[in-house]
Amino acid sequence: MADGGRYYNEHDDRTAPFPSRKGRGHKNRSFDRRDRRRGGHPGGFGPGPRSRLLDDTDGDVTMSDSSQDSSSQNRFTPYVRPSRKPDGRFDRRQMPGGRGIPGGGGRRERSVRNRLGWYKVTIPHGKKYDKKWLITALQNICPVQYTPVQYHVDHNRAHFYVEDSAAAGALRKCSHKITDSDGYKVELHVNPSNPPSFLQSDLKPEQLEHLKQCMAKRFDGSQQALDLNNIRTDPDLVSQNIEVILNRKTNMEAVLKIIEENIPELACLNLSNNRIHKLDDLADVVTKVPNLKALNLSQNELKTDRELDKLKGLKLVELWLSNNPLCDHFKDQPAYISAVRQRFPRLLKLDGCDLPPPIGFDVETPTAIPPSKGSCFGSDEIKALILRFLQQYYSIYDSGDRQPLLDAYHDGASLSITTPYTSQNPSRSSLGEYYKDSRNLKRIKDSTMRFRLLKHTRLNVVAFLNELPKTQHDIASFTVDVNTYTNTLLSFTVSGVFKEVVVDGKSRESTMAFSRVFITVPAGNSGLCIVNDQLFIRMATTEEIRKAFVAPAPTPSSSPVPTLTAPQQEMLTAFSLKSGMNLEWSQKCLQDNEWDFNRAAQIFTQLKAEGKIPDVAFIK
Amino acid sequence: MAITLDFRTHADQSCRYAEEFVNIYYDCVDKKRRNLTRLYLDKATLVWNGNAVSGQDALGEFFESLPSSEFQVLTLDCQPVHEQATQGQTTLLVVTCGMVKFEGNKQRFFNQNFLLTAQASPNSDQPVWKIASDCFRFQDWNN
Repeated sequence: MADGGRYYNEHDDRTAPFPSRKGRGHKNRSFDRRDRRRGGHPGGFGPGPRSRLLDDTDGDVTMSDSSQDSSSQNRFTPYVRPSRKPDGRFDRRQMPGGRGIPGGGGRRERSVRNRLGWYKVTIPHGKKYDKKWLITALQNICPVQYTPVQYHVDHNRAHFYVEDSAAAGALRKCSHKITDSDGYKVELHVNPSNPPSFLQSDLKPEQLEHLKQCMAKRFDGSQQALDLNNIRTDPDLVSQNIEVILNRKTNMEAVLKIIEENIPELACLNLSNNRIHKLDDLADVVTKVPNLKALNLSQNELKTDRELDKLKGLKLVELWLSNNPLCDHFKDQPAYISAVRQRFPRLLKLDGCDLPPPIGFDVETPTAIPPSKGSCFGSDEIKALILRFLQQYYSIYDSGDRQPLLDAYHDGASLSITTPYTSQNPSRSSLGEYYKDSRNLKRIKDSTMRFRLLKHTRLNVVAFLNELPKTQHDIASFTVDVNTYTNTLLSFTVSGVFKEVVVDGKSRESTMAFSRVFITVPAGNSGLCIVNDQLFIRMATTEEIRKAFVAPAPTPSSSPVPTLTAPQQEMLTAFSLKSGMNLEWSQKCLQDNEWDFNRAAQIFTQLKAEGKIPDVAFIK
Repeated sequence: MAITLDFRTHADQSCRYAEEFVNIYYDCVDKKRRNLTRLYLDKATLVWNGNAVSGQDALGEFFESLPSSEFQVLTLDCQPVHEQATQGQTTLLVVTCGMVKFEGNKQRFFNQNFLLTAQASPNSDQPVWKIASDCFRFQDWNN
């Protein structure tokens, strides 16, 4: 208490504003005492003489359990509200992302706002999405710039607000445009709405500016301590008819916002004597003020220690809770200390009394997961073998006629596919083509059906593959993990993206992601022969779509092998011999140079010298 | 015809083993992690988001380092592995996809596949299934 008391009590009536705008806040704060002495009054909004007088008589409040609160209440008129006009409540610059506390009026902005209005965006199953992922994905596809306001989750839904009818209209068109990693289309509803609750502040912009200056006055930069004891009776605020009630959501949010934008490194916060009865609105302090070490909640109305759960995550060293109803609920002091320590294990001082230092256990529960890496081939030899196989396999798979894949499969080969369940009508999504063949044993329990969906023997496998939609795979997107390698078996997992190729304008241009397990046995001529093939397909995520097919290297798979004339075939063989590149890449090079052997050779030499030809081109 | 019937019986059995396996495996990962390595062969290999881990000791160490998890399997498929690849040793390919929440991390989708081989067990007169290889990836590992 001694320590806490010293700096908590030392607020003075010298006013100095927080730096006027965020952005400069972190590095350029002038919160230490000397600055404030130099600073003097900011223009216009300093406390008037009357407030000074009040401050002189009653300004300094202590953290002791003295009952000065009652005396100040005599002058406090809780039911007299500052006059409010609806149009004064919402200022663009108050919004997250808008930054900064506005200095004054903003009449122009108000008239604009009336024209624009607020819209509420609802994502029916939004709870399952990562907020950042969803917001980024939406902003990537929405042609109109907008700021999502007050993103929150309510049951399974996620909501946010936008303030612009153009953005609202554009967002409405984004419904069903984003596919999540489970293959679901993200659904959006956009409706006109009241402004978001937090903007329905009881505080007007100019009042917020007063609050900010009042907080600056009560801030001690040398200790990073902010004293908001009994803030509602602060003479500077009372004289302006400003009522700051910290058990009101909007007011607490305003205070936290000012802290976040101006003094995010705050270490000590005194909220005593503010009639706080629940901590829901303070919960954001955990993320917004992560360095908070000391918190004074004494002389409030907290009824139960369960409220403290909302502040879990704060690394508090000192905490004051005295004179709250919750303190009376413990049968003895050990129970009280134990309940508090349960929430704040690092606590050293409770209500000013030293606690025995905490003794931990040497079992840090890990939360870090190993960083992900790219392909895992095991050896260069296997890498070459697999890459060559994949080049050949997908050049045929993507060629439009998959019949030649008969050569790639063993007589007794098996193949099955799975896709994640989709709540949408499968025929409407591109996955529908695959969904009807999905052998998901979680859903399909009938043994006849299970067997029918397992394609067995080479002919059945290739016939089935031939019926699947025409595709183009992005070989540059492939990741390969080698599962097992023995003399008789090479098993590996390939994942990546592909798109469906439009045939007769029928197919949709949709990008999908796959993960495929091949189990192969050695075949003649150091090739591979597939005995088992399991293909998992889902819709690609927006991020995957963005990255797909952007690699500069042309994939040989895009140029089907057949239909060469005899001279071309001859030239191809010669070019391959001379360049050292395999047939696919040799053909690509010749085609790109209109079968002009010399020009192709010249380009090849040049690209090779520049190191621009990938290794796979030389794998034969 | 006889061959087809045999394959069908084999495939049918495989499904039951696969269902039993995923129940045991993910329960073990989430709740009895220390027992997990017992499901693996002595020389089993794991490729976890591109990180290769091999052998029971290294696997034990690896699993211990992972945060506690909550797995939810959404799709499951399996195939009997062709005997030519396994030199006659009964082997199953089990493929799953689902969601996982590792403590302190956001929930993510994953794909995983296993090769299970039937082994004689010193503790039982029946053979038991052991994981010979395990391949795991987050669907969004690259983001």
